[in-house]
Amino acid sequence: MFYRLSGIHHTRYESARALWPVPADRWQVVALAVLALAAPLFVSNLYLGSYILPWLIWAAAALSLSLLMGLAGQLHFGFAAVMAIGAYSSIHLVRAGVPFELALLGAGVVSALIGTVFGAAALRVKGLYLVMATLAMQYLVDWVIINVPAISGGAQATLRTPAVSFLGLPISTLIERYYFALGWAVLITLFFMNVKRTSFGRALVAIRDKDFAAAVIGVDPFRYKLMAFLTSSFIGGVTGAVLAFCYYRAVTPEQFSFNVSIQLVAMVLVGGLGSAIGGYLGAGFVLLVPIFLTNFIAGLGESGWIYISQNLMAHLPLIFYGAMIIGFLLLEPLGLAKIYDNIRKALLVWPFRHSRS
Amino acid sequence: MQHDSVTLPDPATLHPNWKRDDHLIALLARNARDYPKGVAMRERDRGIWHEITWPRYLDAVLCLAAGLEEQGIKAGDVVLVTGDNRAQLYFAMLALVTLRAIPSPAYSDAQPEEVLGQMQRENIRAAIAEDQEQVDKIQSVRDRHPELRAIFFDDPRGLESKAPAGARALEDVAEAGRRRLQVTPGLREDLISRPSVHDVAVLLHSSGTTGAPKGIPLKHGHVLAGVRNAAAAGYFHVGEEHMAYLPMAWVGDFSFSIAAGLELRFTVNIPENQETALHDLREIAPTLYFASPRAWSSMLTRVQVGIAETTGLKRWLYDHFMPFAVRLERARLDDRSPNALQRLWHGVGEAVIYGPIRDQLGLRRVKRAYTAGEAIGEDVFLYFRALGLNLRQFYGQTENCALAVAQSPEDVSLTTVGRPFPGVDLRIDEQGEILLKGDNIFDGYFQNEKSTAETLRDGWLHTGDAGEFAADGQLVVLGRLSELVHKADGTRFIPTWLENRLKFSPNIRDVCVIGAGKDFLSAIVCIDFESVGHWAQEQGISYSSYAELSQRPQVIALIRDEIARLNAAVPETLFIQRFVNLHKEFDPDDGEVTRTRKLRRNVIDDRYGAIIDAIYDGRDGIDYEAKITYETGQSGTLTRHLAITDLPERRA
Repeated sequence: MFYRLSGIHHTRYESARALWPVPADRWQVVALAVLALAAPLFVSNLYLGSYILPWLIWAAAALSLSLLMGLAGQLHFGFAAVMAIGAYSSIHLVRAGVPFELALLGAGVVSALIGTVFGAAALRVKGLYLVMATLAMQYLVDWVIINVPAISGGAQATLRTPAVSFLGLPISTLIERYYFALGWAVLITLFFMNVKRTSFGRALVAIRDKDFAAAVIGVDPFRYKLMAFLTSSFIGGVTGAVLAFCYYRAVTPEQFSFNVSIQLVAMVLVGGLGSAIGGYLGAGFVLLVPIFLTNFIAGLGESGWIYISQNLMAHLPLIFYGAMIIGFLLLEPLGLAKIYDNIRKALLVWPFRHSRS
Repeated sequence: MQHDSVTLPDPATLHPNWKRDDHLIALLARNARDYPKGVAMRERDRGIWHEITWPRYLDAVLCLAAGLEEQGIKAGDVVLVTGDNRAQLYFAMLALVTLRAIPSPAYSDAQPEEVLGQMQRENIRAAIAEDQEQVDKIQSVRDRHPELRAIFFDDPRGLESKAPAGARALEDVAEAGRRRLQVTPGLREDLISRPSVHDVAVLLHSSGTTGAPKGIPLKHGHVLAGVRNAAAAGYFHVGEEHMAYLPMAWVGDFSFSIAAGLELRFTVNIPENQETALHDLREIAPTLYFASPRAWSSMLTRVQVGIAETTGLKRWLYDHFMPFAVRLERARLDDRSPNALQRLWHGVGEAVIYGPIRDQLGLRRVKRAYTAGEAIGEDVFLYFRALGLNLRQFYGQTENCALAVAQSPEDVSLTTVGRPFPGVDLRIDEQGEILLKGDNIFDGYFQNEKSTAETLRDGWLHTGDAGEFAADGQLVVLGRLSELVHKADGTRFIPTWLENRLKFSPNIRDVCVIGAGKDFLSAIVCIDFESVGHWAQEQGISYSSYAELSQRPQVIALIRDEIARLNAAVPETLFIQRFVNLHKEFDPDDGEVTRTRKLRRNVIDDRYGAIIDAIYDGRDGIDYEAKITYETGQSGTLTRHLAITDLPERRA
């Protein structure tokens, strides 16, 4: 209904391959960009710092994982460990006097190396076996971080992030941290959308769909599976560093526990495998919906409209939250991104059911 | 071979007001000079629209002209051009025009015999063909026309190293021409200055339904006059986006895509092929769109089919908003403007239904939508106007560049075709024939002085169409003059005109209007079995056969309403006062209609004489003994009672 497709013609193949060839999509992107840039002006600090900022970073993390799970089809149940490696590496690098810019890169490189080593298991095994291999990574990394005081600073220690600046701009106030996180999320999103259009991205998709068929058409599964782990772990590690410096500002091993890995997988699945917008929708759903549900039910209880025991109060939001995940996945197994896509496609052919031309 | 059918020593005396250097190639050179970045053409090739700027357009034409001259094309040569719309073919036509040769386009789906006839009549020595298919077609009749020396083709696919003798790729010709232009100083300017406004720019053809097609030469001055008249009246604007999808052999394509394209700097968009034309239309979203009534009608069907299979909510919205807009449009044609609330509601419909459908059809940016050629159905006309397209009718023939009479935005109506363009004189003679005069009227048929003398008298073009002026001075085209008949009191009418309007109703399959030499008009109606049968089922009316269905009182009332609606739109003298529903459809096997479903009136008058007599005797029914020929060859009779129904004689 809101989409206008007539008059869109391409005089070069480059424009036909553009990310957003439809003007209505471009307008939506522009509107979102303006909203995101202006958010500090009209969103309170509480919401900006507790909701929007983590949402952006977790969306970037979900996109990193989606690159591996959605595009290359390699399951990873230890992605929080990858991010932990990035977070701890960057902190130690900065503490050692390495500039923040290089520390971010270093965090990515360390994560990529360790992530790829464990990912090498994917060369031999698939599916549930790969899940086991990545779970092993999660537990090994957790154990190492906790038990090596040189990394964690002790079992119960909390490492504060030092004050840093990026390209001469300090990153300390909330607004500075917000814009930095926004920049990183936008960068990852653009990277993710563009990877899908490159030969690398297509090779990953070929491996996802059938790795030996991909081998038959000349895609080397050995090389591309390792590259998928390498790329995904690199940006996952940097995202972990961004999370530590922009949001937590002090890291403990529990922040990257197994639960977090499962949450990341949930973000990718609920949002939609291999979809950029799905990363945002999934991260938003997993992060924000429990908070809203808790506030909503607490509000209901306080208003005296219904009586809820303190015990139930703690669990009711989780029950609804679980039901919503199951509901969405039943309604559309391909995730929230697919729901968005369905709505968009219906509006594209409105008022018809199919394209008429 | 010089075109000299109109034997005048100096063509300039014929049109003293034309300026010699005011020709198509000069316009092309002007555009190339003044608008070096302007996009003159877009041609779709494998999904990509290749843009051709004015300088490249001129360059392509001049290279081809230089190359074709090298190949022996001389001034006055008639050259066959055949194929679907392609940029290269437009360049070739203009290259011929540059050399003062005469392009003679043929329809791409013409039969080999037709092409042969055209080549023989016009003594064609060279042909320009789009692709292998067209080359093969020409080749298949070449042995009977050995004078054909050369074939030039655009698309080499299937012809590489297999081209028949004397066939060359246009690309090679253009390349040779380019080299010639480089080594010959002054050749470009020489080529541009060669044509004259008095040269024939194109040799088009009449449809040839009766006898061989007649060649219709149009000069630069004719087409330019037509285009300028149209532009002066606002029917074309400068810089339109235009879709060149209609056949190149049709006058409209030459007028729109070449003459108007050059004079008014259109961007001419050429679809990938005929099959993708509707899809490509949407990619371009032209500002000017012409389609035949049939094409508009099939577009409407496309929408209706799409709505029929869409989801409930969308269908419900459509079923609400579309009839609402049609009602408003009908009121607007009756000079009643909508009130504020209706306008607001129409705005909602625009967002929800009208805008999206225009976008789906690729008509979102159309400012000027036209139809011509035959009468357009009221439903179709109102539908597209209600959709927000300013659909208008115009009227013209090949002989006047198809640019003669059109409706202006203010006085749109269903029955009229509008007023003559500025610069065109229109009158209707004593026989009721439409006569036209103006600079856009051609100077005579190609080597056919007899037909020329019949058609052009004292400068007036005798169109052969019967017409009259409506009360507001607009022209009403009734039909072919040869079909005109008179009532007993001398009132002229054309049965086909009335019949076609009745046949716009889905309930009427065929109808024969009777009244020659009678006091009033009457009609023999064949209902549409499928449509009326469906309606009857919905109404719970039982029937077992066509004959039974046709005599059901409800069905008779249905047809009565259809005729009453026509009566409301015509003068009282043309009221159909009585009708009968026939017990069978007209059948080509019984000789009542031709295979193309044209009525054979003498057979109908003869066979149904008893019914006609009963109608004019004032009886209200007849027991008609129908002769039936069984498939075994035996014949028998069957008696049917047919009801004769009256309609009011005057307006209520």
